[in-house]
Parts: sequence; C-alpha cells; structure tokens
Amino acid sequence: MEAGSEPKTETEIADLQAIAALKESTALELKENGNELVKKGKKHYQEAIDCYSRAIDQKALNDQDTSVLYSNRAHVNLLLGNFRRALTDSQHAIKLSPANIKAYYRAAKACLSLNLLSEAKSYCESGIEKDPSNEELKKLAKQIDLKKMEQEHREAQVSKALAEAKELVSAIEDRRLKLGNAMYRELTGLRKPVLDKNGILHWPVLLLYAEVMSSDFIEDFCETDMFSAHLDIISVYHFESCPPLPWDEKNHYSREAIELYYEAGSGICLSKTKILRYLLEGTAAANVESIGEEEKDAADGYPHGNSAGSSKWVKVNEKRTLHDVLKEPNFIIPMIPVFYVVSKRSAFYKDFITGKWTPPV
Amino acid sequence: MATELEELIDFLTAPSPPVKKAAVDIVRGLTGSEDGLHSLSNYANTVLSSLSRLLSDEKEVSEPAAEALVNLSQNAGLAAKMVEMGMIKIAMDLLYKPGSSITRLLVMLLVNLTQLDDGISSLLQIGDDKMQGLYVMKLVRSFCRSNETNDDPFDHVGSILVNISKKEEGRKMLLDPKRGLLKQIIRQFDSSSPLRKKGVSGTIRNCCFEAENQLQNLLLISEFLWPALLLPVAGNKIYSEQDTSKMPLELGSALSIDREPVKDPEIRVQALEAIYLIALQEAGRRALWSVNGPRILQVGYEDEEDPKVMEAYEQIGSLLVHGNETEEPSTNSSK
Repeated sequence: MEAGSEPKTETEIADLQAIAALKESTALELKENGNELVKKGKKHYQEAIDCYSRAIDQKALNDQDTSVLYSNRAHVNLLLGNFRRALTDSQHAIKLSPANIKAYYRAAKACLSLNLLSEAKSYCESGIEKDPSNEELKKLAKQIDLKKMEQEHREAQVSKALAEAKELVSAIEDRRLKLGNAMYRELTGLRKPVLDKNGILHWPVLLLYAEVMSSDFIEDFCETDMFSAHLDIISVYHFESCPPLPWDEKNHYSREAIELYYEAGSGICLSKTKILRYLLEGTAAANVESIGEEEKDAADGYPHGNSAGSSKWVKVNEKRTLHDVLKEPNFIIPMIPVFYVVSKRSAFYKDFITGKWTPPV
Repeated sequence: MATELEELIDFLTAPSPPVKKAAVDIVRGLTGSEDGLHSLSNYANTVLSSLSRLLSDEKEVSEPAAEALVNLSQNAGLAAKMVEMGMIKIAMDLLYKPGSSITRLLVMLLVNLTQLDDGISSLLQIGDDKMQGLYVMKLVRSFCRSNETNDDPFDHVGSILVNISKKEEGRKMLLDPKRGLLKQIIRQFDSSSPLRKKGVSGTIRNCCFEAENQLQNLLLISEFLWPALLLPVAGNKIYSEQDTSKMPLELGSALSIDREPVKDPEIRVQALEAIYLIALQEAGRRALWSVNGPRILQVGYEDEEDPKVMEAYEQIGSLLVHGNETEEPSTNSSK
C-alpha cells in the first residue's frame, strides 16, 4: 500500500464512510428518478438514460444493484431503438449478475432487432434455463425461431435462383452461343431461356413482321425443334385462319411465301457475368451483390463482326433446328432470339433484301 | 543350367542383330500356339519387357516383336501385366514416330489392351490433369483423317473407341462438347470400310448410355447423329415427299434417293439400341419426333427380316406408344 493512502485517524475513516453512504443514496435516488422518467414517456427517455448513467458512475452500489442499473438502461435503449447499446448494457448486466432474467430478455430482444438470430436464441435459452416458467422468454424464443425459418427460406430461394441461373449460363457457354444486349425489351419483358430436366434449352423466340413491325411470340421453342414445325403451327393460327393477319390485306403472308431472317454480326458480346445478371432479373437473387464470377471475362464488351450501321440479313433454312441456327458464328443473340418475317410476295421484300430497310430504333 | 526357352528369351536382348532377329522370329512363332503362349507366360515379365524394347528397332525386328505382343495380349493376364508396365504409353509414343512400319500392329495391340478396365484408364490418361485425353484425341484424329484406302492402319481405332466407351469416363470424354470427339467420329460412319462402320456404330451406341445425364451432348450434334442412326434402319424404299418434307435437309435428301442398305444386322441392332436409349428421355423422344423419326422406323420395319433386328424395332415402337402424351412439338403462339 502506498504511503498516505491508508486512513490514519478514526475521523478520516468516518469521513470516508460518510462519503460512501452519500454516494450510495445518490445512486439509489438517481435510479428512482430514472424509473420515474421512463414512466413519463418518450420525451423523457434520454433524460432517464442520463440518470442511470450517472448512477452507474457513482460506483457505489453492489454488483446485483449495478446490474439492475445496466439492465434498466438497456430497456430504455431498446425503447429508443439503440439496439447496439442495449445489447452492450444487457451484456454488462448479465456479467454482474447472472441471475438477472430481464437482462437476458433484453439482450435477446436487442439481438433480434440487429438480426443476430443465433445470439438472440442463445440468450433466450440461457434465460429460460434459469427461469423455466418465464412465458415472455418462451414467446420471444418462438418469435426468433420464426424469423430464422423465414430467413433460411429466403436464403434457400436465393441460392436456388442463383444456381439455376448459373446452370443456364453454363449451358449457353457449352454451346458456344454468343449473347448480346437484349433488344425489344418492351416486347420480350422478363422472358428467359429455360433448361429442361434433360439439359435441353427451350427459348422464347420473338418473330417480327418487318413490314409493319408487328410481333409474335413462340413461347417455347425447344432447341432441337426445326423451324418448319413451328412455322406450320403459326401459319394455322394466323395465315389460314379467318380473317388472316389484320394488316395483311392482300394476303401476302402465307405459309409458302414467308421467309425468316436474322440480323448478323453487329454488336457486342456480353460477358458471362452480364448474362448472369440478366438471367437473375426478376428472380429472388436479383439483388445479390457478389455472384462469384468476378474475374475479368474475356468476352466483356467485345465488339464483334460487322461495322456499325450495316446490318446483314441471313436467311434461315426452315429445315434446320433452332440450336443449329443459334450457334452460327455470326449470330449474336439479343438475349431472346429475334427473327424477322417477310413475305416473298410483298413489295416490301425487295427493300428488305437489298438492305434498304433497317429496324426502327 | 538355363533351359532352351530361357536361353531364347535371353537372346532377345543380345547385342548381335542377327541373333536378336532369329530369337524374335521364334518367339513370334511360339506366341501363335496355345502351348507356346503358356510356356512364355512363365517368363512374362522378362519376355514382355524385352519385346517392348525391340519395338523401337528396325522393322525386321520390330514387326515380329509387335506381332508377338499382339498375340500375347490376347491373354488377359498378360495384357494386365503389359498395361502395368506402361505398354500403352510405349505404344502411343511409337505410333506417331515417322516412318513407323508397325502402326497397324500397335493399334491392334491397343485394341486388346483396352479390353481391360486398367487399359482403358491408362489410355484415357485419367489422373494426369494436363495430358488427360491427349492419346484419345490423337487416335480420333488419325481415325478421321485417313484416306479411303483399303488397309488403312488406323481402321481398328474404331474398336478401341468401342472399348473405351464401355467405361463412363470414356463416354464422358467422347461426349465432351469442348473436345468435339463424337462429332468427328460420327462422320466416319459414311466410310465404306465395314470395320470402321462397325466401330462407329458400336461407339455411338455405347455413348447413348449417357442419355440420361448428358442428353444435350448427344442431341446437340443431332445434325450428324440422326443420319448415322436412322439411315441404317430406314429400310430400302425411297421416301415420299410428304414424309421427307418433315425431315431435316440431309436426312430428307438421303432418303429420297436409292441407297446401299447396311448389310450387317449387328449395326442395325446397335443403331436401334442407341435410338431406344435416347427415346427413353422425354427430350429425346421429342427430338426424334421432330425429325419424323418414328415414320422412318415404321417404314424401315416393314423391310426388316432379321428377327433380332425386328425385336429392336418393336422395343422402340412400344416405348413411343406408351411414352408421353404430347409427342408432337408444341408451341404457344401469342400476340
């Protein structure tokens, strides 16, 4: 002991005892004030916290009582939404008095609000262990379980969506298809290719009647199907029905007269990451930040083929499968394949073939 | 006191060329008989390693040595020993040596060695990350590059491919779209060599056992696959315009003209088995319908007389009848 720190006389001892007693009663008074202020309502919460803080600073109370101070302060912090502080206060309270059930409750509540679900559960369980009949803790535990289940369910959905999209990207990569920016989004919406259980791709395909820029969709064009089969079906619905296509007054668009073209080569090939992002749009995983393919993709922004402005029209042989056409090296698929329909019999045909017509932007 | 046989085997590694030549000729003769094989197998390790060393000598020695090894490799135990001592690598290294006169024999040796699981693994180079598949790629390239000469030394590669496709790793490698091996192999189906045709047919059929897991790797080369599978079982008649209009171009035009029937019933059975395996899968049936496959099978069945082949047709027939409801390609068209 240092020289001079030991009380020398009885008077000094008595004085120190008096000071200690004073501090103790101050602390108790502050605690009462704090409690009263909390009862008074929201506007007084901050003041209540100050009271409790000052009471703690007196350092005049035993562990059990100090624990109550901390746990009371935690309570007000919870009410104010200061969840982090509520947690540290509760933790202090528990440390000072492991029998303080309210402290466990408040710790659990704070953790729940901070989305620390495992910790919340753990505090609940510690509390229930000490007080098995505590209904509030049990109720809180159920709440936490529910939130956990919801979170796990959401995470599972996100994982699933991500995995499916990655499988799709992989299938596209295996087939060496080139994908570019989506065109005609107002028509295609959120349509996407789909992988069936045999690993075969099914594409939604947009048909544009170039002459009038009217459109049609083949919702499910399996990559192993031939164009002729789908054109047969469309012609039954549109060309041979009565009335025929409303804008085709002279009936130029018949099964034998139509030809299909795609636009070759101009545009940018998208990287795997960009394709993955497109495929995730509208799914549970749409907002996932890191999707794992962060390495610099070779094809990112890679301009390909024809110089800008000159579109080249390539005729589609009806007797080929969709896959065979999509994998043509000069075909950059605008996310959803687009084919232009023209009629040999229409006057428009000549303009189209000679490159005089370009799709309106 | 060494026996005559032991002396003979010793002479295989003699420094004097005429002695070596005499010895290897005799050993080759021995391998042509059951008794000779049996006696030699008592000294398997020595004989095999000596013979394999002789493979790199000039042709008077290397040819009989190779013949001897081919004969010995027909015995499973000896073949296993050869694989163990790295005979596959030795053969592959020598196969592409310029001026090699034992190419055909080495290929036949590989055919025998790949009858064994270990032989297949060794040829596929499983476990060697960098080199995996290199041997197979080389063999396929040689197989596909040959001229239409009779007696092409690589004719037997077809049989090697049939062997390796018996193993899942082999099928996976052949079906891998990045390697494009199956696509190259299928094209050889048009060859006039019956040996080649059979090799291709057997390989395709084996690969179709992967239809359950890798259907896309089969269907995405359907441009080449369907002609190879359907033409042999399309019968002899010329098809009508109505039928061929529903088929892809190559298939349709091939069936619109007179053609040579495929005489070997085993090839026809293999083609049908392959089609059956594909048709077990929903997408496979769909693809078959989309090329008017069932019609082809129907017409082909009418001309068929071989009972085994007929049975194979019938098997597919009942599968297609009892398969899914919606077999025709379906489309939703909406404005």
